Amino acid sequence: MPVLEIAQLNKSFDGIIVADGIDLTLEAGRIVGLIGPNGAGKTSLFNLVSGIFPPDSGSITLDGQSLKGRKPYERARLGLSRTWQNLRLFPSLTVLDNLLVAPRHYAGESLLRLMFTPGSVRAAEKNDRRKALDVLERTGLAAVAQRPASDLTFGQQKLVGVARALMNDCRCLLLDEPMAGVEGQAYQTIQKVVRDIAASGVAVCVVEHNVAFIRDLCDEGVFMFAGKVLARGAVGDLIADPRLTELYFGT
Amino acid sequence: MLSFDIVAQILWTSFATSSYFVLFALAFALVLKVNRAFNFAQAAMMTVAFYAAYTCVALWGLPGWVGFAAALAASIILAIVIEVFGFRTLRRRRADQIFVFIFTLIVSEVVAFLAMLVFGTWPSTIFPSLFWPVTLVGNVAVSQWDIPAVGVAVSSVVVLFGFLRFTRTGQFMVAVADNPDLAELYGIAKQRIYLATMLTAAVLVALGMFLYGTRAQVQPTTAIDLMLFAIAATIIGGIGNLWGAALTAVVLGVVQNSSVLFIPSEWQGFLLYLFLFVAIVFLPNGVKLPARRRLTRKTVAPDLVGAGSQES
Amino acid sequence: MEYVYAVVILIGLYIVLAASFNLIIGYGGLISIAHPIFYAIGAYASAILSRDYGFPIPLAMLAGTLIALVASIMVALPSLRVSGDYLLIASIGFQLGLIEVFKNASWTGGAGGFTNIPAALSASVPREVYVAIVVVVAALAALLVRAIAHGPYGRAMAAMRDDEVAFSALGRNAVAMKVGTFALGSALAGFAGAFYAHYFRFVAPEQFDILQSSVVLTMVVVGGIRSTWGPVVGAVLLQALPQAITFLNLPPAVLGPLQGLLFTGLVLVFMFVRPQGLVSAGEVWSATRKGSEHARS
Repeated sequence: MPVLEIAQLNKSFDGIIVADGIDLTLEAGRIVGLIGPNGAGKTSLFNLVSGIFPPDSGSITLDGQSLKGRKPYERARLGLSRTWQNLRLFPSLTVLDNLLVAPRHYAGESLLRLMFTPGSVRAAEKNDRRKALDVLERTGLAAVAQRPASDLTFGQQKLVGVARALMNDCRCLLLDEPMAGVEGQAYQTIQKVVRDIAASGVAVCVVEHNVAFIRDLCDEGVFMFAGKVLARGAVGDLIADPRLTELYFGT
Repeated sequence: MLSFDIVAQILWTSFATSSYFVLFALAFALVLKVNRAFNFAQAAMMTVAFYAAYTCVALWGLPGWVGFAAALAASIILAIVIEVFGFRTLRRRRADQIFVFIFTLIVSEVVAFLAMLVFGTWPSTIFPSLFWPVTLVGNVAVSQWDIPAVGVAVSSVVVLFGFLRFTRTGQFMVAVADNPDLAELYGIAKQRIYLATMLTAAVLVALGMFLYGTRAQVQPTTAIDLMLFAIAATIIGGIGNLWGAALTAVVLGVVQNSSVLFIPSEWQGFLLYLFLFVAIVFLPNGVKLPARRRLTRKTVAPDLVGAGSQES
Repeated sequence: MEYVYAVVILIGLYIVLAASFNLIIGYGGLISIAHPIFYAIGAYASAILSRDYGFPIPLAMLAGTLIALVASIMVALPSLRVSGDYLLIASIGFQLGLIEVFKNASWTGGAGGFTNIPAALSASVPREVYVAIVVVVAALAALLVRAIAHGPYGRAMAAMRDDEVAFSALGRNAVAMKVGTFALGSALAGFAGAFYAHYFRFVAPEQFDILQSSVVLTMVVVGGIRSTWGPVVGAVLLQALPQAITFLNLPPAVLGPLQGLLFTGLVLVFMFVRPQGLVSAGEVWSATRKGSEHARS
């Protein structure tokens, strides 16, 4: 069942083409691996989907709803979640608080609600807190919940990024290089978390350079180069294709 | 009441007096473009330039060119102080934008208060009289101030354009304006360029203020009021667009002065703020001048579709 | 004694101004210096409605506050939709433009100011009552800002200051929050303005210009940005100091600029020597103890 449908997406900046007629469908419960050399347009595709900048043409629909013209916060509230290549945690907040600002709907966001029905805000906070602590358990971060997010090791911070994305109860999850610079326990944890999340019916798309991760985890691979989708299929086939390897490493 | 002569006179005079506005707008727009700083401290530079010239000419009786040299020197020195001790420190500290702005605002006010203490608050001019001999062109009075003023403004625009296009420092300034980190990777010393920009602005400011102070009265707080004009011209003309700012300064100057034909003079000041507000609400990216056409570079991707792939 | 009351009331009003400005620029991270104009709107609106339209004073004060609130939204919404920098310019333009209107319109008393504003309390009520009311209002304002800044809204504001893009991508409407913060801060300023009008019974346009902006700004920056008590300390200090200088018996031509120099010089010194201000705020956002205890249960 398709969750995210991208049709004929085009985008260029000052003559540099970052998206060239991209068609992509993300299905519920499946993990798609987006691979390709640097500059292929993978992160740009994520930015187009999450609404950081608008496409020149083409369409993006989430659960049948067009995302055209919708701001990033609206897309998140419709069920889109993502992580960032460069983390983008909130250093002024603890790990727990980083998660607490991330649920799809945040009771404390409205001053009016805060001032006139503080009870409902307190109740929502309690719920969010319970959920956040649960997510922190699943990602092995419970021990560092009260530490400032900037105090953690890189691997832990990466985990916080993923945990934060999980607060959304999302329908579609985009992970931008979740494994870059990660190894050991954090690696295992992220892998398990992503598998579990997909198993619960979320459509997942992962940008990764880590071949082992892609091979172990992804149901399907999509190879991008210079803004175009060049090939898609079983991850094993894509990896084995000599022409793609050549493009990846750049001759 | 609205004869051709009156309209022509107002248009000419407002055009001529927009000369200093052009210089102020260019200075502000340049620093905003290259240094990405909202240099409200330009008002301080303007104030010291004026009072330096005023001291030399009105108080000490020295010739006009000495006054101008003093204005130039004062403006440049203050620009150096602001950049080296102010902006650089705040940049190093990665200070919040509000702090940078507060800094520039406060500098303007410190200089204004110092000027009040030293020179008093009454209006003064560089030359003892604002009267300039007038020649009649048709029925329009052209004062002896007008032509040199327009000349200074036009040549400044031309020289600035040439400077940015053809000199190394100027080209570096444009590069830093476009992408400071990339420029640094190419070996351009950002800090030096930021200083060069402030110095260029200082020259423009000295020119503009010398023109203004020989045509109108100045008080310690005048420069702060004039800044609004420079800021409005920069915003309406499009941030990052120097020539848009210059053109808008002329248009705004003409419109504001001509408005006396249509509205009571006490509302003239209000008009500027109205324009600013309208510009922000309806034209947030400034008035669009036609963009230069760029050639589209398409990076060609090898055609691998169909080789072991599934079309979806 | 009358003099002392006036100073205490001014301090109280400035505490409200400083605390609400701290909400806007400190916690909200917005760039604006036009705070005094909303103080002015509250003052003028309440004064005009009560003197010329027969509004009972409490109603006039409420109306003044609401008008300040609506005006602030009208300024903030279109500018913040574009970017934070535009708010600065739009607000300065609004402040100076409205001052021009106050200077030239007949129904505002023009440049000479608006006089004979009805007193809030009749002559039989002792002054101490008014003073007490203002002190309570000041305390409530400081505590309100604290409660907001240390609650879930404050948590969101801290995240928004850190990384607005990531914040938005989580589903948070940053623009709405900024407008809301600006509106609340400006409404508080308007409320304080109404108090000012009915105690001092005279308002003039030059009381609300960019110089006033520096005064409020100094209180927040020197007092300590993003701290609860910093603005309070700033307000007390910066009302007390100039009063102290007046005792030096300097000629007015010197006194005015000297006071101005004092304010601005203080900001410069603090900005470079101790940017966190007199009362420094913590680096990491934390909930009020009461709030977090509630949530933990």
